Amino acid sequence: MSHLIALIASNPLTPLEHVARHILNWLHFSVGLSWAWSIVALTVMVRMLLVPLTVKQIHSMQNLQRYAPQMKEIQKKYKQDKKKQNEELMKFYRENQINPAASCLPMLVQLPVFLGLYYALKHFSREPAALHPGNLSFLHFIPSIADHTTSHWGGFVLLVVYVTSQMASTLFMATTVDKMQRYLFMFMPVVFVFVIAHFPAGLVLYWVTTNLWTVGQGLITRRLVPKTPAPGLEKKSSRTPPSDDSGGGGGNGAQRDPSQPKPEPQASVAPRKVRRKKQAGGRR
Amino acid sequence: MFRLGVAAVWLYRVSFGALFPTTCKYHPSCSQYAVEALRAKGLFRGSALAAWRLLRCNPWSHGGFDPAPPRVGR
Repeated sequence: MSHLIALIASNPLTPLEHVARHILNWLHFSVGLSWAWSIVALTVMVRMLLVPLTVKQIHSMQNLQRYAPQMKEIQKKYKQDKKKQNEELMKFYRENQINPAASCLPMLVQLPVFLGLYYALKHFSREPAALHPGNLSFLHFIPSIADHTTSHWGGFVLLVVYVTSQMASTLFMATTVDKMQRYLFMFMPVVFVFVIAHFPAGLVLYWVTTNLWTVGQGLITRRLVPKTPAPGLEKKSSRTPPSDDSGGGGGNGAQRDPSQPKPEPQASVAPRKVRRKKQAGGRR
Repeated sequence: MFRLGVAAVWLYRVSFGALFPTTCKYHPSCSQYAVEALRAKGLFRGSALAAWRLLRCNPWSHGGFDPAPPRVGR
């Protein structure tokens, strides 16, 4: 017991490292995978546990994309005041019953796994080889997953794969409609590759696997979920014909006419045209 | 004492938060909420509030404006 307390005191993340190491040991010794493939399997296990969270997030994101024009308008309107912009966006979400896609929990759940694996791999390179018998290489181009990524040419290949996969996963999981922010997120990995280069290759392998999972999951979910017309827009247009008529500025509602129920628009489209002409000629 | 928690949040922001960029569905964001809660309620209660906010920041919640509790004269 005192030994455990001393360990935790020396590094509060020790329990995380122990859990990661136990799972890796089980995958290596009991299941019979190599150390590198054990990391891949561990990543897959974590991502499988997170499937309910991430799938829900992808659905929300698809829903969010349908409202992008209105949200961009709000962002443009309150460009100077970021606080007000955020508040207005939140209000818009509430009014249209949108569930904003981004949430911190799915990302944070991966944090302990990442840290545990980081320390476990650090110990791999320090401890005697007898404690982790077996091959540490991966697909013949990474000689050791415990070494720094840049210690071998294979590591550079892994880094290129990391950057590409991170960009692709950002493309699928970027939860913002702001273009600038999306570009920023896309090019983050290019900047952070210099930091990641000092991590053990096994950690980059974890990252690549999780990114590829994200891409695959994004592709499958997009295929499985049919693209439905924006429910919010439909609701809005069916609720707001009077205001459209009186204001005359319902550009979005007019664009969505084909998706509206057939009998009503025929009656409402004709008078709108007449009114526009009247407005152009002279306002009442 | 709460500075320890604030330092941890900043450490998260410059490391993991930067590596896995995401936009929070709440306003203020979870990390900002944590800083404000730690300042207002101290390390333990502030941490508990921040943890509760993180649990609420899940794909099923609707997000929105959710400020940290105000600072009471300490």
